[in-house]
Amino acid sequence: MAQSQDTRPKEQDVETGAAGHGAEPRGKRTEDGQATYLVAIAEALWEEMERDERVYLLGEDIGVYGGAFKVTEGFYDRFGADRVMDTPIAEETIVGMAIGSAMEGFRPVAEFQYADFMTSGFDEISTALARVHYRSGVPLPVVLRGPSGGMVRASSFHSINPEPWFAYSGGIKIVCPAFPGDAKGLLKSAIRDDNPVMYLEHKWIYRRVREQVSEDPDFLVPIGSANVRREGDDVSIITYGAMVHRALEAAQTLEGEGISVEVVDLRTVVPMDEETVLRSIEKTARAVVLSESYRFVGIAAEVASTIAEKAFEHLDAPVVRLAPPNVPIPFSPTLEDAFLPGVDDIVATVKNLSAW
Amino acid sequence: MATTQTRQRKDTDPRLSDDELKRALYLVKLCRYFDERMESLYRQGKLPGAIYSGRGQEGTHIGVVLPLGPEDSLFPTHRDLSAQIAKGLDLKRIMAQYWGRIDGYTRGRDGNSHIGDWYGNKTWTVMSHLPIAYPVACGAALAYKRRGEPHIAMAICGDGSTSNGRWHESLNMSAIAQLPVVWVVNNNLYAYSAPNELEFSVPTIAERAAAYGMPGVRVDGADVLAVEAAAREAVERARGGGGPSLIESVSLRWKGHAGHDPAKYVPKELLEEYMRDKDPVKILEERLLSDGVVDDQEVADIQGRIEKEFEDGYEFAQSSPFPEPEDFSKGLWVEDGYWTSEPGRGGGTEAS
Ligand SMILES: Cc1ncc(C[n+]2csc(CCOP(=O)(O)OP(=O)(O)O)c2C)c(N)n1
Ligand SMILES: [Mg+2]
Repeated sequence: MAQSQDTRPKEQDVETGAAGHGAEPRGKRTEDGQATYLVAIAEALWEEMERDERVYLLGEDIGVYGGAFKVTEGFYDRFGADRVMDTPIAEETIVGMAIGSAMEGFRPVAEFQYADFMTSGFDEISTALARVHYRSGVPLPVVLRGPSGGMVRASSFHSINPEPWFAYSGGIKIVCPAFPGDAKGLLKSAIRDDNPVMYLEHKWIYRRVREQVSEDPDFLVPIGSANVRREGDDVSIITYGAMVHRALEAAQTLEGEGISVEVVDLRTVVPMDEETVLRSIEKTARAVVLSESYRFVGIAAEVASTIAEKAFEHLDAPVVRLAPPNVPIPFSPTLEDAFLPGVDDIVATVKNLSAW
Repeated sequence: MATTQTRQRKDTDPRLSDDELKRALYLVKLCRYFDERMESLYRQGKLPGAIYSGRGQEGTHIGVVLPLGPEDSLFPTHRDLSAQIAKGLDLKRIMAQYWGRIDGYTRGRDGNSHIGDWYGNKTWTVMSHLPIAYPVACGAALAYKRRGEPHIAMAICGDGSTSNGRWHESLNMSAIAQLPVVWVVNNNLYAYSAPNELEFSVPTIAERAAAYGMPGVRVDGADVLAVEAAAREAVERARGGGGPSLIESVSLRWKGHAGHDPAKYVPKELLEEYMRDKDPVKILEERLLSDGVVDDQEVADIQGRIEKEFEDGYEFAQSSPFPEPEDFSKGLWVEDGYWTSEPGRGGGTEAS
């Protein structure tokens, strides 16, 4: 897949030299109240910790160091070692310990240094976390956070989009915000939710996207609700995470060519907001389902089959998936750019579809 | 139980020939120089991806590999590029890997020290998840044992990685099955920002060996010859059918976890102490000079050779093509033939 120059990370980006780690301090809101995604996530954690003393954090290097991406910078000083708990490199135990303490009334938020390392805790997540409530009625208000996604030249072990693996388990809500406001509101909802929630924060977005974000301590974005980010009439792009930004850029380009694109940001992938998706298809009659996660047995496949099943009579064209094949995310710029759906690919796909 | 071993070159009956000692000196100096130059290129924004410096740990990395033969296998981590160099990775292809080029060992599929050359020198293709190669080393060792071959497997990981379940499962398995493995822990006192006391609550990692039923030894990573002696004993034990051993080699990670990390959490005095008194490169060089194994001219020649090798590697990497974009999904399956097709330059685009 060809890659638009515009969205390609520049060689000199800080993240390209650090496997996506945040070298710099987390930063603050701007004077007029704009927050980066990174700041929005930190605010959500901070506010929920202030609000509810049962909430605590655990993970690797989150204490004095403030986390690999600096999400928890300053938390250790405010909340102390008990509530900002540095753990050894023991992901199965991090998850299991979160589960046990949740059973005893705590509300743990576990940080994975990268979402890639969730697979090192796979059994406790997919077997225990996903199934305790179903078989015993004991709620597990556990949040698992982790930086996911590529686009920062971090290669196979620091770029994964793990949501399909865990969507398959059932029993775990999965949230993938694309904007700072959603990031904040969804994380607060996740912490207040009595079910397990996996919260995937895209590392490409962390320091790149900034917007006005509510300062209301009870500002929540409901889990399970999609959002029409851009209204349009001709083709719907259903997507989530960092691909929302590429979709919006493609929509802008296509507008200049007379094609009106609607962009639906799923925001939550489990449970999926079918209603918002189907409403959009009823309007446009054409759907491109775009994801950064793999194509085969993926989130895009699920959305596409839902549309085919439930909106068949509204469709004027086949539903199209645009997603990378199931191969490890490569490092070399030529390979990573070919691997990821680019703005050019989105534009071409939408054009093809609108010609139907 | 945990003992610290040291060895004086002036001891009677030195085990290593002068040529072997010179090779050790060449390797520690090469790895130090490579590490420093790569960091400087990274700081200038000329090197893409991440760097994981192994500076200060050359004594461990070179010492443990010296007793290995070409048929012995090595299973290292992100931090252990120096060990891979000692095992035979080619500087040119390493540098092509850092720059994402087709001549890199992963053909651009990965960068930096996430590298290996199984068919070339029996080194595992390093993966991040810790310590993912420990169980794999059990499997290689199992194969040697089953076939009655005299080879051994060596795995290396950091102090922090010993907190992971896989580490414990692997030691246990290897002891039960009496596998020919040498388990090496590069204890550089930190796991990213976490000091040893946040990782384990026994005084040493070496003493854990007793819990699995194998010998364990703690050595001073500043002394490459002491490390070599401990490793040789463990390697010979494994080769002779005596089963696995654990070696904990202690040093300090002189740089941050990766290039972006200034490591402010490492006390300044600790770093100064290690850099001043426990520099494995300086210690070996001074010892070989004072024992008359090398003279100043020879040291200068070694250094000159290293610098030339680096320049050649850099040139090679810069002129190596990028992989063809459309090849990004190849190599997943045996049947697509990508990895049996011509390696390197045959499969790339024009060099930039
Ligand atoms: C399972 C897993 N969790 C988290 C990480 C992220 N990570 C990379 S290196 C590192 C610290 C490793 O410390 P140590 O084992 O002491 O090795 P060192 O880097 O010091 O050589 C961490 C936490 C990882 N690679 N794998
Ligand atoms: Mg370490």
